[in-house]
Amino acid sequence: MGLEVDIIFKIAGVGIVVAFLHTILDQVGKKEYAQWVTLFGFIYILFMVASIVDDLFQKIKSVFLFEG
Amino acid sequence: MPGEGEIEVVKIIGALLIMLATTWTGFDASRRLTERTRQLRLFKNALLSLEAEIMYGHTPLHEASRRLARQLPEPLSSFFSAFANKLVNTETTVKQAWDDCLQSLEKRAAFKQGELEIMRQFGETLGRHDKTSQQKHIQLTITHLEREEADATEKQQKYGKMVKSLGFLSGLLIVILLI
Repeated sequence: MGLEVDIIFKIAGVGIVVAFLHTILDQVGKKEYAQWVTLFGFIYILFMVASIVDDLFQKIKSVFLFEG
Repeated sequence: MPGEGEIEVVKIIGALLIMLATTWTGFDASRRLTERTRQLRLFKNALLSLEAEIMYGHTPLHEASRRLARQLPEPLSSFFSAFANKLVNTETTVKQAWDDCLQSLEKRAAFKQGELEIMRQFGETLGRHDKTSQQKHIQLTITHLEREEADATEKQQKYGKMVKSLGFLSGLLIVILLI
């Protein structure tokens, strides 16, 4: 259980920092950089979530299809 | 074999070091923006004093720049005293001495290429004309520098706070990604 809570906090932290960066870059008129920062943050978290979901699917497979 | 607690301590120290480094980088970039405005203003004042020395004091160039070196704070002080020394001690033209001193100023001051070019062009006119056209050249240079100063002030107001918070936040992001 400890692992999942850790990852949720990490996602929240990345979200907060990326949101701040977006706001600051937006305020000084660097819209294009702000969008890139947000996009990279999103991709990073997407990869993290995808690996967790992959774990879930593996587990489901091993339960229902009787594989290792 | 290090224990669990020791690894945690090393992690925290590493995180603090990363935060410190990026925050300091941000503050340093912000300080450079502020310094550019301040030094441009100082250089403009130096040119005004030089004009007064030439027009009303009839002071020779090396004496005038020695006086400027005493009036001004660093790094312009060492620029003008080096300039005065070069004029007195070495066999060189004013333009050559000015260019040499500008090159060493470039490393220590926060000037950008635009204002350095203005100063270089000013050095070409220095000591070549009579009083009135020298004054006109000084006025022209001051006008150019005022334009650069307005640009520097605008950049400082726009990006000064941004680079500070950008440094801090990027440090925070790196720490979160590495945990």
